[in-house]
Amino acid sequence: MIKKIMFISLLIVSMASPVFAIDGKALLEQVDRNLSPESYESYRKLINIEPSGAKKEFTLFTVKKGVDKVASLFIAPASEKGRSTLRLGDNMWLNIPNIGKPIRITSLQSVVGGVFNNADILQLDYTAEYDVGKVDEQGKEYILYLKAKTKTVAYDKLKIWADKDKKLPTKIECLTEANMLIKTLYFKDVKDFGGGIVRPAVIETDSPLYKGYKSVIILAKVKKKNFKDEVFTLTFMSNLESLR
Amino acid sequence: MKRRWAIFLFFMLWILPAAAAAEETYTFDPSETEKKPYHIGGYLEFKPVLFGLDRDSAFYQLRFFDNPRGYNLLEANGRIQLEGSYEKSIFRVYAKTNTDLKSSYSGESERSTFYELYGSVKPLPNLKFDVGKKTMKWGKGYAWSPVAFVDRPKDSDDPEQAMEGYILATADYIKSFEGPLKTFSFTPVILPVYDHVNNDFGNNFKLNTAGRFYFLLYDTDIDVMFLTGGSRPDRYGMDFSRNITTNFEIHGELAYFRSFQKSVLDINGNRHAVEGDAVSYVVGLRHLTSFDLTTIIEYYHNGTGFSVDEMENYYSLINRGYNIYQTSGNEAILGNALQMAEGGYGRASAMANYLYVRCSQKEPFDILYFTPSLTWMMNTDDQSLSLTPELLYTGITNWELRLRTALIAGRRNSDFGEKQNDYRVELRIGYYF
Repeated sequence: MIKKIMFISLLIVSMASPVFAIDGKALLEQVDRNLSPESYESYRKLINIEPSGAKKEFTLFTVKKGVDKVASLFIAPASEKGRSTLRLGDNMWLNIPNIGKPIRITSLQSVVGGVFNNADILQLDYTAEYDVGKVDEQGKEYILYLKAKTKTVAYDKLKIWADKDKKLPTKIECLTEANMLIKTLYFKDVKDFGGGIVRPAVIETDSPLYKGYKSVIILAKVKKKNFKDEVFTLTFMSNLESLR
Repeated sequence: MKRRWAIFLFFMLWILPAAAAAEETYTFDPSETEKKPYHIGGYLEFKPVLFGLDRDSAFYQLRFFDNPRGYNLLEANGRIQLEGSYEKSIFRVYAKTNTDLKSSYSGESERSTFYELYGSVKPLPNLKFDVGKKTMKWGKGYAWSPVAFVDRPKDSDDPEQAMEGYILATADYIKSFEGPLKTFSFTPVILPVYDHVNNDFGNNFKLNTAGRFYFLLYDTDIDVMFLTGGSRPDRYGMDFSRNITTNFEIHGELAYFRSFQKSVLDINGNRHAVEGDAVSYVVGLRHLTSFDLTTIIEYYHNGTGFSVDEMENYYSLINRGYNIYQTSGNEAILGNALQMAEGGYGRASAMANYLYVRCSQKEPFDILYFTPSLTWMMNTDDQSLSLTPELLYTGITNWELRLRTALIAGRRNSDFGEKQNDYRVELRIGYYF
C-alpha cells in the first residue's frame, strides 16, 4: 500500500514538474528587459478618449535608470509644457513651472486625468515592485500572478498574460487585494525600435471604474541611454529639457 | 488703452471656437518630438469679478472713503504672459513677461513687467548657474511658505499663480548617493538691493546672501535654509515633506527671524516699533481617498503677524479716521492708516494663526477634467473665515475655465469681517499657447 502511494505521489510530482520548471522571477525579469532596457529614454503620447469620442493628448519625454528611477517631462500640450514628474522608488513628485517647487504626489493620483494614474505613467520594472506568486500556461501564453512587495504599490495584484515566444506582455489586469479589477492594459503593435528593442508600441487601457473611457499610450524613439544619478533629483526636475 | 482691451478680447474670442472645433484622430508623428533650440509660448487670461461690498467694514472705509460705491462692484481683469527661451550648448536664456490689465470703477490700468529674465550655464549635469530675475520658491507649504526667504509672499487665495522673481545670482549643485541619503543639493543665492535693483525687497545698498541645503534622507525631503545681509532681518529655516503611505503626505516649515521689526498701534492709535525674535511655522498634510478626493490641510502660525488687540487698534484707527473725514473732510488719519496697510496691516494673512482646508474632488460623476473644490480658510484667533467653492474644467486642450465664489464671514473687528467684501464671484478663462 505504502509503495502504491509513493508511486502515485512520484507520478504526480513528475507530471507537475514542467510547471515547476518555469522560474517565475526569471520570467518576469525577462519580460521587464524585453519591455525596456534598464536605462533608456523614450517619447510617449498619452491619449485620453471619452465616450463621446473627444480626445485629449499629452506628449512626454521619459528617462529611466536602474530599477527605481524614472522622470518624465511634458512637452505638449502648451498648458502642460514644462511640467515634470519624478519617481524614486515609492517617492513621486510633480514639478509645475508656475508653482516652481516640486510637490509630492501619490501613485494613485493622475497628473493627466483619465484611466492612467501616476504609477502607470512612471512605471518601474515589475520585478522592483512585485513577487511572482505562480505561473500558469494557457496555449501560447504564460499567465503570471504577481503580488505587490509592499502596501505602497499602486495595485496589490497583477495578472500578466505574456507571449511564450517573445516573452512580452499582451494583457495585464490590475487588481485590488480582494481581486476587484481596477483596470486592464492591452499591449499591441509589437515594433522594432532598433538597438535590439522589440516591444509593443501601443498600450491601451480601460477600467470598469471609468465605463466608456479609454486611454492609450503610444511609444516612439525608445533608446538605450545612461544617465547620471543626479538627473533623478528634485533639483534637476526643472532641467529635464536639457536631456533632449 | 481701450484699443489694447479690444485686441485682447478679439484674440480670446477668436481662439475659443477654433479650440472647441479642434478634434482629430490620434497619431504620433516623430516630428512632434523634435527639439528646437528656442521655445515661445504664453498664457492669456480674462477674469471678470463681481465684488459684494461690505460698506461698514474697515477696509471698505479705507479704500472708498472719498469715492463711495454701491453694494456691488464689477471689475474686468486681463492677463497676458509671454514666455520664451533659447538654448545653445550649455547656455540658455529664459524670459517670462506679465501684463495685468484692469478695468474698474477707477478707470483702466495696465502693469507690465518681467516675471523672470535670466541666463543659465550648465557646465556639468549636476552643476548649474543662473543670473538674472528668477523665482526661487522655497518651502513645502501649499498656502503659506514662511521659509521662502528670497520670494515674494504667496497669495494664499490662489497659491498656484505665477509669481514675480527677484534679480539674483544662484547656482545648483546636486550629488546623489546610495544608502539612506539619496540626494544632496546646495543652492547658494546672492541678492543685491540697490536703487532700481530689488528695491522693494528691503533696506537699500545691501548685498544679501541666502542658501538652501536639500537632503532626500530616509525617503523624506528635508531643506535647511538661511538669509542674511541686512536688507531684511537675518532668518533661518527648515522644511520637510514625506509620504506616509501612497495617498498620504505630511509636510512642515519652520522659520526663525532674528530681531524682526514691525510697526504696531497701541490702544490710543499711536504707532511704535516693536523688535524681537519671531518664529513662524506651517504644518500640513495632503490626503487622497480611493474615490479621488484630495484634501489639503495646513495650519500656519505667523510669528511676525499682528495680535487680535493690535488689529483691533488698527480697525479703530480707520473708524476714527473715517468719522473725522465724514465730519471735517480731514484725510490725515486715513492717510496714516493707508501707509500702515502697506506696511503690513493690509497684507493677506496679517495676523498670527490660520487654518486652511481645501477639498477637491477629481472628475466626479465620470466628468473627465472636471474638478470641483471647496476651500475654507479661518483665522483661528477670531474665528472669522472665508469659504471658496470652485469649479474647474480643463477638458478643452490648452483651455482652463474656473468659476469660483468667495464668501466671507466674521464679526466686526475680526480679520475676515473687516475685509472690503462680503463675497466675490469670479470667472477665469485661461488659454495656453
